[in-house]
Amino acid sequence: MTAIAEAVEAGTLPGRVWMYSNYHCNLACSYCLTESAPGVTRRQLTSERMVDIGRDAANLGFTAIGVTGGEPFLLPDMAHTLAQLGSILPTVGLTNGTLFTGRRLDAAQEMAGSDVALQISLDSADPDVNDDARGPDNFAKVVAAIPALVERGVTVRIATTGEEPDPAALTRLCALHRDLGVPDEDHVVRPIIARGRAADAGMGVEVTEADLPAELTITADGAFWSPFGPTVVAGQLDTDLMLTRTTKPLRVPAQTLLGLLQGRPAGTDSTLNIR
Amino acid sequence: MTRVPLLDATSAPLTARRYFSDGDPGPIVAALASVPELLEVTLPFLSTVLSASALDARTKEIVIVRTSALQECRYCIDAHSVVALDTGLTVDEVRTLSGAGPASLPDADEAALLDWIDAVAGATGAVPDSVASRLGTAYRDFEIVELTLLIGATMMLNRFCTALSLPTSAAVATRLAEEGLA
Repeated sequence: MTAIAEAVEAGTLPGRVWMYSNYHCNLACSYCLTESAPGVTRRQLTSERMVDIGRDAANLGFTAIGVTGGEPFLLPDMAHTLAQLGSILPTVGLTNGTLFTGRRLDAAQEMAGSDVALQISLDSADPDVNDDARGPDNFAKVVAAIPALVERGVTVRIATTGEEPDPAALTRLCALHRDLGVPDEDHVVRPIIARGRAADAGMGVEVTEADLPAELTITADGAFWSPFGPTVVAGQLDTDLMLTRTTKPLRVPAQTLLGLLQGRPAGTDSTLNIR
Repeated sequence: MTRVPLLDATSAPLTARRYFSDGDPGPIVAALASVPELLEVTLPFLSTVLSASALDARTKEIVIVRTSALQECRYCIDAHSVVALDTGLTVDEVRTLSGAGPASLPDADEAALLDWIDAVAGATGAVPDSVASRLGTAYRDFEIVELTLLIGATMMLNRFCTALSLPTSAAVATRLAEEGLA
């Protein structure tokens, strides 16, 4: 058993390895950590590289994979890539859910029955509130995509990101996601983190690494402490939560992260519900 | 203008932060911090090679300033001219070591050392036996090993600082002006 596997088993090191597949996106959400938008620098990992990382992660003893962006499904073959990753370790793919029509919806079928869940962003049951942060027609596209995916056997989770939630609004949102076929246990609510575009807009909660789950995160620019680490401000990648530029072999950043975790004081990641 | 970002305490990666805890660590660390795993191994190496060791500080500064002059590294010449003065070298000694022309020191051992530096850092190819022989009469074998590694490490830094156009600090520039070495 590797030191990484022992640390994961002991709960010292979180079991999930994240990858930023790309940084470009068809949306430009107001609180985006990475300033993602259609024209930004792509900072892309190839499908082959992502599968390599997944295999390395499994061999080291990590227990789960996450893929985020940008919008991962702007990359061709993302459904196939996620299905491959899901055959290695349980995988969650984060998506804005607005692209699942036509061929992309058909392609999503490959993830059905595999150990892959899609986590789709939906911030409010009120279309205007949701679309104010996420862009015009976002609500309509997402509420159309979720049942279409569920119908095809794809596991769907919903992530709600926002400031302090209004209980009544949250109740309406939960009723909506149940109607869409997503149970309560597959709905996560998380705060806006004051990094990236959110920081520019004065939104979100200030965090340090002590507040963030130490989930090894791999990007085209290096390895980071958490998926909340490789953020972008004014087009420049933040480096404050970088671990190493080296990402291959994966044990290099994994061991660096493990070294930093030794003796780490308790943080507030649980109380802030940053997930 | 510096060719790469110089990180500061707020942008320094997690494993590099300790180098910024006592204030500005200088442009070499600030540049290397962009690749923290290299900083982690490079800085201890450079610190071991360049700082106090079995060789006396004067000898080491002669090597560093002269090598930097041969490599025409403005940043290293400036920074180590100040260190050399603080170590006890005179302004005239620093001037001859840091100049573009041939350097000379009256001490025979140090003259042999200058010939060695010129042959290692100021030329390519084999070092002449005659130069090695003169150095061997002045320094012991283990000192020659350290002197030679010091020249090599300085050359590495020279090329790093020159290629990336690392800036001389205002404090160093002021001191050099005060000493008539600007």
